[in-house]
Amino acid sequence: MAETPPPVAIKPVRKRGLSGASFIWLIPLLALGVALWVAWQSYTSRGPVIVVTFQDGAGIAAGETKLKYRDINVGTVEKVGFGAGLERVEAHIRLKKDVAPYVDASSVFWIVQPEVTAQGISGLSTVLSGVYIEGSWDSEIGQWANTFRGSDVAPLIKPGASGLQIAFRTTTNGTLTDNAPITFRGIQVGQVGRAQIARSGAFAIVEALIYEEHRHLVNSSTRFWDTSGFSFSVGPTGAEIDFSSLATLVGGGITFDTFVSGGEAVLDGEVFDVFEDKESARTSLFTVSEVDPLQISVIFDENVSGLAVGAPVELSGFRIGTVDSLSGIVDFNQFGDSRVRLNVILSVQPARLGMSGDNTADAALRLLQDRVANGLRARLASASLLTGGLKVEMVEVEDAPPARLVAAGQDLPVMPTTQSITSDAAATVEGVFTRINNLPIEELLNSAINVMNSAEGLMSNSDLQEVPGDVSTLLSDISGLVTSDDVKNIPVALNATLTRVEGLVAELEQQRIAESLGKTLVAAAEAAGAVTSSVEGVPELVAEIQTVAANAATLEFDVLIAELVSLTSSAEDLVSSPETAQLPVALAGALDQLNATLKELREGGAVVNVNQTLASARTAADSIAVSARDLPTVIARLNTLFAQAGQTIEGFNKGDELSRSAQGALRDIQQAAKALEKLARTIERNPNSLLLGR
Amino acid sequence: MVCMELSGTASTTVTAREAGLVACTRCTRAWPLGQQTCGRCGAALVSRDRGSLQRVWALWLVGLMCYVPANTYPMLRTQQLFQVDESTIIGGAVDLAHYGAYGIAAIILIASVVIPLGKFWAIAFLAVSVRKTGGFASHHRLLMYEVVEYIGRWSMIDIFVVAILSALVQLQGLASITPGPAAFFFALSVIFTMLSAQAFDPRMIWDVQAADDEAPDNG
Repeated sequence: MAETPPPVAIKPVRKRGLSGASFIWLIPLLALGVALWVAWQSYTSRGPVIVVTFQDGAGIAAGETKLKYRDINVGTVEKVGFGAGLERVEAHIRLKKDVAPYVDASSVFWIVQPEVTAQGISGLSTVLSGVYIEGSWDSEIGQWANTFRGSDVAPLIKPGASGLQIAFRTTTNGTLTDNAPITFRGIQVGQVGRAQIARSGAFAIVEALIYEEHRHLVNSSTRFWDTSGFSFSVGPTGAEIDFSSLATLVGGGITFDTFVSGGEAVLDGEVFDVFEDKESARTSLFTVSEVDPLQISVIFDENVSGLAVGAPVELSGFRIGTVDSLSGIVDFNQFGDSRVRLNVILSVQPARLGMSGDNTADAALRLLQDRVANGLRARLASASLLTGGLKVEMVEVEDAPPARLVAAGQDLPVMPTTQSITSDAAATVEGVFTRINNLPIEELLNSAINVMNSAEGLMSNSDLQEVPGDVSTLLSDISGLVTSDDVKNIPVALNATLTRVEGLVAELEQQRIAESLGKTLVAAAEAAGAVTSSVEGVPELVAEIQTVAANAATLEFDVLIAELVSLTSSAEDLVSSPETAQLPVALAGALDQLNATLKELREGGAVVNVNQTLASARTAADSIAVSARDLPTVIARLNTLFAQAGQTIEGFNKGDELSRSAQGALRDIQQAAKALEKLARTIERNPNSLLLGR
Repeated sequence: MVCMELSGTASTTVTAREAGLVACTRCTRAWPLGQQTCGRCGAALVSRDRGSLQRVWALWLVGLMCYVPANTYPMLRTQQLFQVDESTIIGGAVDLAHYGAYGIAAIILIASVVIPLGKFWAIAFLAVSVRKTGGFASHHRLLMYEVVEYIGRWSMIDIFVVAILSALVQLQGLASITPGPAAFFFALSVIFTMLSAQAFDPRMIWDVQAADDEAPDNG
């Protein structure tokens, strides 16, 4: 430590050229080389940039949004900007080098974003990851292009895809749905693209793709129809609801069938009509295909209700079109007032006009113009009396004021009109209903209810309920009287009397009785007449009872019951009175006494003027016979009376008059009976009086 | 003892080289100038490392080259569900500041931008300053060198953060963090700047001071 090292000459360090360069410099050189190589490598592996323009950005972000081909990343959006004039969004996409040559002029690009449709949900993965751009190109290397026009929706027919490419056109009032599936026997065999409205606005047209493997299903005879929605029908087999599938129910669909054989193969670009339903599709095979309809306008002065869209348009009774639309029109300058007029736009099918040659709208217009010059006019006519619906009719009008069918500028040609014939069935029916409505139905019902109440009260009246019993008793009494042996014996007794009279007469003839008998016979005749007159009272009684019945028919009802009851009881009294019961007995007695008298006469032999006596006696006997014969008639009349009383029982009232009449009648009967009895007693006391007239 | 007395009393400092000595840089034993290897620890004895500055500059250059992609490429690749987020160092710091985390943003900016750039500047300054005389005190330059060498390892904090996050946040599908290419380049950059700083021979600082001291004497 103590020793000091010797001084050393210090030489400055000096570098000479590159000889002193350290190997350490290799490291930065190497790094530089690697960096350069990487840079070159990445530069050469870069693909070209293409520019795709879109209507809107729809979530495209620079550096993030991918370009995919068959779901594989083939590029990235590097820059998003606007084109000239800010019209379109431009996406600059860096392609991968290996696919770049295939991206040629025929490529299509569209933005894939989440979409929920009736057919399903698509692009769900883009909900979280963001949208991406899908590209489609064929596998052929074509002409290079670097600017493309992108679409917002996926194209129906992608480049390189195979299949039958056709187009659909709607028929009248038909509808089309975007992206609807085309099904056949329930299997999707194709798809419809995005529908567009034809320039004329008359129909919608849409391109469609039938997948390659189902191409043979379609030929020129194939008819397509719309299966969207559902149909509901109630028929003899019950209610029926019909729809193809849930997807077509919501989102619509098209199906087809080839109803007849012999169709020709179809080439790409063929246009088919889509019909409303299967039936119209089937019938369309046998009708001329409908082309662009001719639209003409008709302005009716009357603003009548009842004309509806779809109402028929007829020419000479043949349907040539339909009513397309209805609107009111107010034009002071044109019509001179501010009334609302009915503006009807008609859609006329040229094919139905029966023209020879081409069925075009222009030809149809020329035809109609010609006809209008000759007096063809439009008018409203009733199409259905039941519904009051109207139709438009074209008729030839004689002596029509001159008019022409011309189009003024952009407007539709206006058809001249004539007086409409609309039978206002609706108004007539309405009048009928009004009259029915005005009927006093309520008052009528009230009256009816009152009548019912009265009838019910009457029926439940205890007096009335007793009537049948009383009547029945009366009838049985009468029956007992008629069937009594005494009454039955009357004819027998009479017969015996007559026999005896005959015998007496015969004796008188033999004995030649003195003429003095004549007075006796006259007296007998008077007696017989008295008998006759007394007996004749019975028919009068019957007539009186009949009058009573007739009166009863006109009488108030309430009173009747008690009257009838009293009448019945009176009649009962009468019948059951011993006097009445003795009447036949008395008669029989009288006859017996007559017999005895005749017997005395015969035995006495003092009979004068036999002939007159004979006649008078015969007359008397006849009268008695007649009176006896009338008895059953009386009973029958009584029966009739009761029947009538029963019939009219519901409408009558109590009446003192009836009561009095009936009682009077009964009194008459009693008196008649007493008269008979009196006669019988007289004859009994003085049998000669019959012959002597005293 | 002598040296201590000398340094404490003498107005001018005599360097070991002027004294004809060379110190072993590994075990600090002083040997006479001309001795090739340290007799105690066997390390090579060099009074002044001639290739030092070349190595400094070469490694410094590589470190700087690596620092460029470390800042342009994404440092972290964060995947949340379907969203992939790639952020560079500065972009991440700006994002953090944007969300209000100014403290963290400042730490990231200082650790990943200010310190590496300061190191590049400091190493370059030291390497340049040993060539020509400047108005910067040699003691300050030595302090600068020591700070650079000490702080160099802390630049790796970014790499640690990326490594820890990548290891922790690996929830399949839900969220995952993977290091971006910038992490690799940033690590390389830090490594090369540390090597560059180590390649610097701080004894050269004093050579310049000696020249500075002699110049007034001579003049």
